[in-house]
Amino acid sequence: MTTWQPVLLANVNRPNSEKITTYLAHGGYEALRKTLKMSPDQVIAEVKASGLRGRGGAGFPTGAKWGFIPKDAPVKYLAVNTDEGEPGTFKDRLIVERDPHAILEGVIIASYAVGAHRAFVYIRGEFFLGVKRWIKAIADAYQYGFLGKNILESGFDLDVSLHRGAGAYICGEETAMIESLEGKRGEPRLKPPYPAQAGIWGQPTVVQNCETLVNIPHIIGRGAAWFASIGTEQSRGPKIFCVSGHVNRPGNYELPLGTPLREIIYEHAGGVRMGRSVKAVIPGGASTPFLTADKLDVPMAFETLAAAGSALGTGAVVVMDETTDMVEVARRVMSFYVHESCGRCVPCRLGGHNMLHELDIIASGQGKRANLARLEALTRGIPGITFCPLGTGMCEPVASGLKLFRSEFEERVS
Amino acid sequence: MPDLVTLTVDDVKVTVPAGTLVVDAAKAAGIEIPIFCSHPKLDPLGACRMCLVEFVGPRGSKLDTACTVRVSEGMTVRTSTEQVKAVREANLGFILINHPLDCPICDKGGECPLQDQTMAYGAGVSQFVEAKRQKQKHYPISDLILLDQERCILCWRCIRYLDEWEDKPQIGLFERGGETVIDTFPGQPVDAATSGNIIDICPVGALTNRVSRFRFRPWELKKTPSVCTLCPVGCNLRLDERVHELRRIVARENLAVNDEWLCDKGRFLHQYVDHPERLRTPLVRDAAGEALRPATWDEALHRVIEKLGDIADTNGANALGGIASARVSNEAAYLFQKFFRALVGANNIDFADGSAVKAQPTGLSAIADIAKSDLIVLVGFDPSEAAPVLDLHIKRAARRAGAKLLVINPRRIALAKYPGAYLPVLPGGEAWDLNGLATALQAARAANQAGSKPAPAPTGKAKLETKVAVMAELRPAYDLLAAAKAPLFIYGPDAARGQLGKLAVTALSNLAVALGFGDRLAYVGAEANSQGARDMGLLSDTLPGHQPVTDAAVRERLGKLWGVQPPAEPGQSYAAMAAGGVKALYVMGANPAATVAGAEALHKLDFLVVQDLFLTETAQLADVVLPATSFAEADGTYTNLERRVQRGPQGIKPAGESQADWAILAALAEKWLASQTVDTGEVSKAIEQPDWKKKRRKIKAGPAPKPWNYPTAQAVLDEIGKAVPPYASLRWDALGEAGVQWSTSALVRAPRRVEPVDVAPIAAAPAGSFTLVSGPLLWDNGPLMPYGAEQVRKLTPTPFVALNPADLTMAALAEGRQVTVTSAYGNVTLTLKADASVQPGTAWVPANLAGAPAETLGAVRGEPVSVAVKLV
Ligand SMILES: Cc1cc2nc3c(=O)[nH]c(=O)nc-3n(C[C@H](O)[C@H](O)[C@H](O)COP(=O)(O)O)c2cc1C
Ligand code: SF4
Ligand code: SF4
Ligand code: FES
Repeated sequence: MTTWQPVLLANVNRPNSEKITTYLAHGGYEALRKTLKMSPDQVIAEVKASGLRGRGGAGFPTGAKWGFIPKDAPVKYLAVNTDEGEPGTFKDRLIVERDPHAILEGVIIASYAVGAHRAFVYIRGEFFLGVKRWIKAIADAYQYGFLGKNILESGFDLDVSLHRGAGAYICGEETAMIESLEGKRGEPRLKPPYPAQAGIWGQPTVVQNCETLVNIPHIIGRGAAWFASIGTEQSRGPKIFCVSGHVNRPGNYELPLGTPLREIIYEHAGGVRMGRSVKAVIPGGASTPFLTADKLDVPMAFETLAAAGSALGTGAVVVMDETTDMVEVARRVMSFYVHESCGRCVPCRLGGHNMLHELDIIASGQGKRANLARLEALTRGIPGITFCPLGTGMCEPVASGLKLFRSEFEERVS
Repeated sequence: MPDLVTLTVDDVKVTVPAGTLVVDAAKAAGIEIPIFCSHPKLDPLGACRMCLVEFVGPRGSKLDTACTVRVSEGMTVRTSTEQVKAVREANLGFILINHPLDCPICDKGGECPLQDQTMAYGAGVSQFVEAKRQKQKHYPISDLILLDQERCILCWRCIRYLDEWEDKPQIGLFERGGETVIDTFPGQPVDAATSGNIIDICPVGALTNRVSRFRFRPWELKKTPSVCTLCPVGCNLRLDERVHELRRIVARENLAVNDEWLCDKGRFLHQYVDHPERLRTPLVRDAAGEALRPATWDEALHRVIEKLGDIADTNGANALGGIASARVSNEAAYLFQKFFRALVGANNIDFADGSAVKAQPTGLSAIADIAKSDLIVLVGFDPSEAAPVLDLHIKRAARRAGAKLLVINPRRIALAKYPGAYLPVLPGGEAWDLNGLATALQAARAANQAGSKPAPAPTGKAKLETKVAVMAELRPAYDLLAAAKAPLFIYGPDAARGQLGKLAVTALSNLAVALGFGDRLAYVGAEANSQGARDMGLLSDTLPGHQPVTDAAVRERLGKLWGVQPPAEPGQSYAAMAAGGVKALYVMGANPAATVAGAEALHKLDFLVVQDLFLTETAQLADVVLPATSFAEADGTYTNLERRVQRGPQGIKPAGESQADWAILAALAEKWLASQTVDTGEVSKAIEQPDWKKKRRKIKAGPAPKPWNYPTAQAVLDEIGKAVPPYASLRWDALGEAGVQWSTSALVRAPRRVEPVDVAPIAAAPAGSFTLVSGPLLWDNGPLMPYGAEQVRKLTPTPFVALNPADLTMAALAEGRQVTVTSAYGNVTLTLKADASVQPGTAWVPANLAGAPAETLGAVRGEPVSVAVKLV
């Protein structure tokens, strides 16, 4: 079993962990002091060298993203993605509630690196406690001189403001988040231009997931080499795995990338409930395809999961035991996506509806083979033609359910 | 010249400007990519996914939307692979499953992109057995438009149009995912002045036209390309006729004029053409006090020439005059002035805002120049009310091209909200401010040119004006003007009438000249063919081709064409004629009796002929009424505000026995000539001898008029080409369907000189009274409005006077009350309104409301009028 001393979650179980004093007592904001003595380019170089990839689902190299921000643009923004809507994912919530300064320090360092003087925190509306904690953390950071004008006498200014979402999964998608931040209907934007070229109010914007930002102070504090020494070839550093479903100890587990799935389930999360066997695992949140029990030895890293026919996504591991009804799983996941489709593009808005319609019929036992055939055609027809990844992602669970557990679907129809 | 990019679409190589969207590049290659949400005049959206095509790259091919991807060098696109076909089928399937398919009762059926694409790209079989989802069906989103949410495919075209062009985002998306619908916002119906365009661009029948709903099936219509004659923009449109009724008007693309937009007046105000109250036969009044009775054309025309001839014989030619409207075609305007100049022998011809207004002869250099201007100066001109499609272009320039607007107007018109400056003026006070600005700019320029040498100190009046110019209130305007690199100056009749108007125009022209842009100064008239009417010489002091009647060479040239020369003496103006300067008046399309005072003046005439569509107040007083056709029922050309001469061909059979204006004039002239005993050597066409011709007039010896021989409107246009030099090449065929701008090279003398202006500031109305401000309203009670469809008529407000809210409070008056408004010229009873766009101390009464209140109060006299407002 991998022994790993948590870094990202080091503070979360301390008493009063959310307080700035607690954070400071454990070395908080030291990395910021160090950063402010470096040049922004040095900070970007360090993050590039670390090999850090985004933890919000897409796994884009963070240093490279910062490098895209035009140096000469007069106004730049940072946006912190705390919308955390991917089913099965609950890591960002833990950090905002328990250790908001860990994110905030990353926010300040990232803003310094890209030259942003304004950062927007976009937080999921249902995170009531998280909102409170963020507000308090921001206020305290101003008090302590970590925010505002001339931070720690460095001459660097940064203001941070908070924006609550109104309950839309799509607003976690970076361009929809930007639309929502601007007060508009939450729908993704046409890309290009990418946020790094034209984001909030048309200005270059870096959008970063919470967990990604929590890594930053550690990369600066301990050095890129330390970070790069953890994990696999293409997946460096520690990662928080959100384990849920039919395990004995569901929860957030911080482990190096590359830790085998089997170890996460059986050693860390206490194994499957009632000693049952695993039937299927969603390894990275609802938009990633299922893995079957024979794939449990896969290392949890970007490249290895891709090779296994799935994806790391957000690192949300949903374990399903042998009693699970896979048709029902597909139906429930589908109904989530249909509910969350923004309605902009035809295949997702209407195609998704049709898929759910077929699934409802099949799950009710009234289905015919034709329903199954139509469902299958839809899972082939929709991916790749939607405006944004949501519509494509919604087909994954059904498509992989049909592929891996076909007999369960066939048994339901006549 | 933009960079060019070459790409391959389905093995066809095509070269297009960089930045072109793939969907347009494919079109250039002759390949149609199906679209729903994409529209050439709207920003890309990428919502419907219908246009997905394969892009072949080094790492295999990938699908992307042709409506959002821009071309790049060497790009390879495949538009009809199996994959692409499957995608189209799937997308259509998704849409159709959720579409009501009520095509048999849908107005769009037959011209519906969804139908067409289903036939072209659909699966061909229906897979759907379940019940359709239900949404709100056909409910009004405005007086003019119905929405059917079930039919809507959420392409956002309507949303984007209202946002991107109108800057009135009045339709939005509600709910989410499959529940998403479009709708208006609570309590705010769509009221954009060009809202009807969303009906044209809706790719399904979700938005329908309340005026023409259920009155046509597209395939039954006879479609005639024509132009709108309701304002000087001259938008291109199509007349859709069925069984001799004008069922519908839709926009027609002309990228130089209206893109593919129309304003709501142009689109929805057409039922007057088929209105039961149209005049269908000539009417004559046998004796004063008797009623008008139907007559034959022969009798009516005979009556006209007999009476006109008698009055001319006894009182001289100067006792005859003609007032026309500038709505009529070039052909009608030309023959009208020719009738008076060549046959009657008087220059007594004019139209409202004709000789009373000092107009730049050349109009706008081009509508396209609006988008290229960095400053648009609007003096006494409110495009939002007077020319809504021009308003679209100006808003677009302000929002997309960063143009600034300098609005000089007694009222804070809608366009004043855009970046730039608003300069409030009192009516008639424009000259003072413009002169101040011009003087200050000239001084600054002189100082610049003098280089290090100190500029000559302004003396006397100039000194005063320089001081005025830098006064705080002129400063923002001055700064805008001084910084402008490509300004455009547009003024309208409201700033240009009368003596004060002449000063204002001179000052404005000085201003343009001082900046070095004398050629970027344009006058835009109120009526649709104002430009054409001026080109045709429908003016008491100006001959065809913008030459003064005093110009002997031009008179001689016209004399050769007409057989007789026009008189050298300038004729009487509209105001002079309407106030009793003539004994016999011929009114074509105008309505001077709309005011009580105007009607009283007409009572004194010996003889009144009115040629019109309806029995107007003026026609009711006439001795002979001649029924004329509307623009839709006769061929004719019209010249828009950028000098574009456009064809308006006949699209529908004339009502009753009505005849084209030009044809009536031609017939009248034939009779006139036939009744004269002059040996012309030539013979007029209609020389058979009915009874009435037995009575012949002797006329003075001298050169005889040439016969009038116009079998068609085109023949009249041919002669116009000889009379008006810039029209020389503009034959009917040469005009084509997009029209041609006449060249200014033959004529123009853009002002180059600064002319001194002697002007004094206008005094505000005395305490307790207000300065009357008037101007156009889109939905007024203009000549055709009362005969529009009910939905259209509803848009005209009950006659009102609006005051600034502060004035209302101060005078302890309440909105909604009835008030009497009194001026030196008359009094009217109006409903009181509060309106923050009305400046303090002024009272706003729009032109052409029912009962002509503004006109009654003296608003169009070109001089400041003060009014008192009292509770009834
Ligand atoms: C439908 C959809 C939902 C998403 N939701 C989230 C989210 O809740 N939180 C998040 O951090 N990223 C989310 N993303 C990913 C973001 O678009 C973006 O890639 C990410 O915030 C970038 O940050 P990172 O590079 O730090 O991962 C979502 C993407 C999609 C397509
Ligand atoms: S795929 Fe289309 S409808 Fe679905 S969420 Fe993305 S943009 Fe919206
Ligand atoms: S009403 Fe028509 S134009 Fe508007 S979104 Fe629906 S389909 Fe498109
Ligand atoms: S036409 Fe391209 S996505 Fe709609």
